[in-house]
Amino acid sequence: MSDAQDRPVVSPRIDVQFDRPQRRYQAGDRVVVRYTIDECQGDRIHAVEQSMLWYTEGKGEEDLGVHMFRRVADPAMMPPRAAVGDFFAHLPRSPLSYEGLIVKVRWCVRVRVFFEGARDYVSEHVFEVGDVPPARVVHMRST
Amino acid sequence: MRLPRFFAKKRGHRRTGSREWGVVGDGLFHGILLAAGLFFGGLLISGVAAPEWRINHDYVESRCTILAKGLAKTAVQDPSGAVSTTWQPRLRVRYTAGGRVYEAWSQGTSAEATTDRTTALARLSRWILGSQTACWYDPTAPETVVLERGYNWWLWLLALLLPGALVVIGGSGLVRVLRAWGKSEERRAASAGLAEFLDPLMHPAPTAPGHPAVPNCDDLVNSPGTILRYRLPIESPESWTLVGFGLFAVLWNAVLLVLAVGAGLDLLGGKIDWWLFVLLVPFLGVGIGGVVLFMRNLFLATVVGPTQVEISDHPLRPGRRYDVLLAQGGAGTFRRLQMFLELEEQATFRQGTDTRTEQVVVWRSLVTDCRDAAPAPNARFESWSVMEIPPDAMHSFSSAHNAVRWRLVVRGTTDRCPDFTRVFPVVVFPAEVMPAPIAEQRRAQTEMAG
Repeated sequence: MSDAQDRPVVSPRIDVQFDRPQRRYQAGDRVVVRYTIDECQGDRIHAVEQSMLWYTEGKGEEDLGVHMFRRVADPAMMPPRAAVGDFFAHLPRSPLSYEGLIVKVRWCVRVRVFFEGARDYVSEHVFEVGDVPPARVVHMRST
Repeated sequence: MRLPRFFAKKRGHRRTGSREWGVVGDGLFHGILLAAGLFFGGLLISGVAAPEWRINHDYVESRCTILAKGLAKTAVQDPSGAVSTTWQPRLRVRYTAGGRVYEAWSQGTSAEATTDRTTALARLSRWILGSQTACWYDPTAPETVVLERGYNWWLWLLALLLPGALVVIGGSGLVRVLRAWGKSEERRAASAGLAEFLDPLMHPAPTAPGHPAVPNCDDLVNSPGTILRYRLPIESPESWTLVGFGLFAVLWNAVLLVLAVGAGLDLLGGKIDWWLFVLLVPFLGVGIGGVVLFMRNLFLATVVGPTQVEISDHPLRPGRRYDVLLAQGGAGTFRRLQMFLELEEQATFRQGTDTRTEQVVVWRSLVTDCRDAAPAPNARFESWSVMEIPPDAMHSFSSAHNAVRWRLVVRGTTDRCPDFTRVFPVVVFPAEVMPAPIAEQRRAQTEMAG
């Protein structure tokens, strides 16, 4: 989610639904996402970005790889006129979701809403790709 | 209007800086570099390059008579109070420009200036009083005349290289910042290309075709094995230590040699610089120490003998078994020779101004364990084994700051030498994606078997 300071005074509510309620997928699967944007409280939205990506978490600096990205800026497709949107993507062969000790790989869907006045709000929804079990420590060293 | 905060979210024990302020600082830094490059470039071009270019292109040729000779002395005092003096040959000449006769001191080129008065006098002696020679005068100011033309390439290089580097670094950084301004991180990541060109260091090594974030393994399959299909390349940290010691020994002793030659020449000239001699003693000690350290490491690296690992296939896949051959050369007996298959996580992060890397081994399996291994004369010790990648194993992963790496690690214990470790990286691809009907059929078979 965006930082508190980046949020508009009233944050919109973005609900995301996956085609699989457990949000578990395998490499190559098709992921279908449907989202609704509510409670904009009169703030005008001028663009919505839909993306499907992986990012790293853990001790290292964050890296991310965008698998699917679409920016919708057509006024006819903006809330409140069109509060519902959907998109889909076929997952690549890699990377798989991974729960390591100092490196974690997570897949997520993000819906980012841009308001007039350069403010934005992002809603992130994590899902799993693959069945890799969590890692455990064997030996640690630092340089 | 509220200003962005200096600190954003907290990552573990560390706070990350505000992205907005980071972008502002980045832009400011590159903007200053660009401005400095343009400023100094402008100064050098207008002060040195342009006048020289005009002399060679715009000045009009004429004939002149040399009337007098002299040396122009320029003394410059630096902030510490030291004065540096340059000497430049100058000639008073008579020449005709635009139908009028002029008498003027010639302008010397920057290439003629020297700090050695004797050299300047020698250059001046080439000109003979009363003789006639070619000259070039400025058509816009005919009293400005030169007797020699040409370029000072060092100054041109300075004019182009130093400010040019500042302009390129500052300009590319500024373009990168401006391109990213106001864009979400997803949009920036999705529109890579120019960003990768502008900042290639921020991006990881090439990935395997069709497998995002999985490292390319072309370098691991370009060497055939003697028995099995591929011989794996070694990634030994000891080799880099050896290279480091070697470089240090060479560079340090090169500096030492230069100082020693200077001191020796002084001594021959009857001058003794005691401070230099006192300085040379510890320098010599460090130089000898560097060479000894390098030779010791070289001996340890070569005395054990080469380790080779061959594998039946590559890249590896989860759930599959592979033949592995461990071959160890060298003399004597290895009390223990072990080979492990390891999975290591590696994270790179910044802590203040340091860039730190942390590694954690999260999975390890013993592949080979040999005791009292003794290579026969003129032959190598060989141990054949089979290893399996777990079916649910994580594949190799590599991004700019994070990695999950598979590797075969050989650890040896000998009677005469210290223990050694040699690392052979391998790449594990994700399990092959099966079309949905086959996957369902497999699942059904598994359930029935269960």
